[in-house]
Amino acid sequence: MTEDGPEAPGTTALYVYAVCRADGGPVLDGVSGVARDEPLRTLPLGSLTAIVQTVRAAEFTDEAWQERLTDEPELERYARAHHEVVSVVAAQAPTVPLPLATLYTAEDRARLVLGNESARFHTALERIAHHAEWGVKVYAAGSPGEDDGGTARRPGTPGTPEGRDRPAPGAGRAYLERRRTLRARRERRREDSLRVAETVDTQVCRLAKASRRLRPHGPGTADGHRPQVLNATYLVADHRSAELEVVVKDLRERTGAEIELSGPWVPYSFVGEV
Amino acid sequence: MTDLGFRYDTGHPVPGPPNTNLADILERVLDKGIVIAGDIKIDLLDIELLTIRLRLFVASVDTAKKAGIDWWETDPALSSRAARSALQEENRELRTRLEALESGFRDTVSADA
Repeated sequence: MTEDGPEAPGTTALYVYAVCRADGGPVLDGVSGVARDEPLRTLPLGSLTAIVQTVRAAEFTDEAWQERLTDEPELERYARAHHEVVSVVAAQAPTVPLPLATLYTAEDRARLVLGNESARFHTALERIAHHAEWGVKVYAAGSPGEDDGGTARRPGTPGTPEGRDRPAPGAGRAYLERRRTLRARRERRREDSLRVAETVDTQVCRLAKASRRLRPHGPGTADGHRPQVLNATYLVADHRSAELEVVVKDLRERTGAEIELSGPWVPYSFVGEV
Repeated sequence: MTDLGFRYDTGHPVPGPPNTNLADILERVLDKGIVIAGDIKIDLLDIELLTIRLRLFVASVDTAKKAGIDWWETDPALSSRAARSALQEENRELRTRLEALESGFRDTVSADA
């Protein structure tokens, strides 16, 4: 049944969310996915099953996505909808997620391309079975306003550039001195934080099957305004998740650093390189 | 949100942190997962993620400043032009003074000779 429904061929596309084993045909009730015209359904692929949805092709072109990327609430809706489908399926059986916006022009195309990749899917499924992904973030130490101390802001220190046509003699040196002190202090704090980050990574790696470093989030994202010094993610066996929480708690106490643990995630970060 | 029919069924036994922030989700659904070539070419690469973050960052610079965070001020790419021009100004002045001193020194030396 390709291109069923009232739509003419070419006006619809098939959106693929994830792939799991055929024996674990997931229940998809109550989940709507990224489109509302058609329900989510499964697409049999022999020993595997794909979770798919027929969508309007016009809403899923590259242009439409580029537009969406500049519209944060819109992008968030799609990202969360995709994530929800993946998570619901993964709650029922080991699941390999596909990235946001993997689309085929027709059902037989999807069946052909995904079918050709079945070895990769099986390898990934084996790897992640009974495992979950856990995110660990470490934030740089140092409280806001700390830089005001010392020589940073002596009253009457000349050299504030604004409102002066000519800085007073020595202003440059004082200015450089101040910058140097600040930089040294910042550098020290950063090094301390990086050392803590390495310790955390080493400890968590010991009980993980695999690990990946993600790009640290810049200040000002939803994570708040603290510089991140580690944004890593780990593939951890289900029976070791309690142990992981203990390790993180212990690291928090031992290092005094702010460490954030998030999970369990569907192992998004551990299915790609197989 | 509701008009598009998306449902966030928080009661569902979903593996995934309950309060997942957007950046955490995006870096997984955009960057990760098993990549299989689709028929419709869509370019959602890392650079896009950076753009989003940059935008979030720019939007909250003021908030961050209020919180006393100013690391970008030492970043050459982001530091204020004012600070740099003040330094250039002073450099120029010091160079002039040095020249004056050196020429004075040369005069002294030639006078001694």
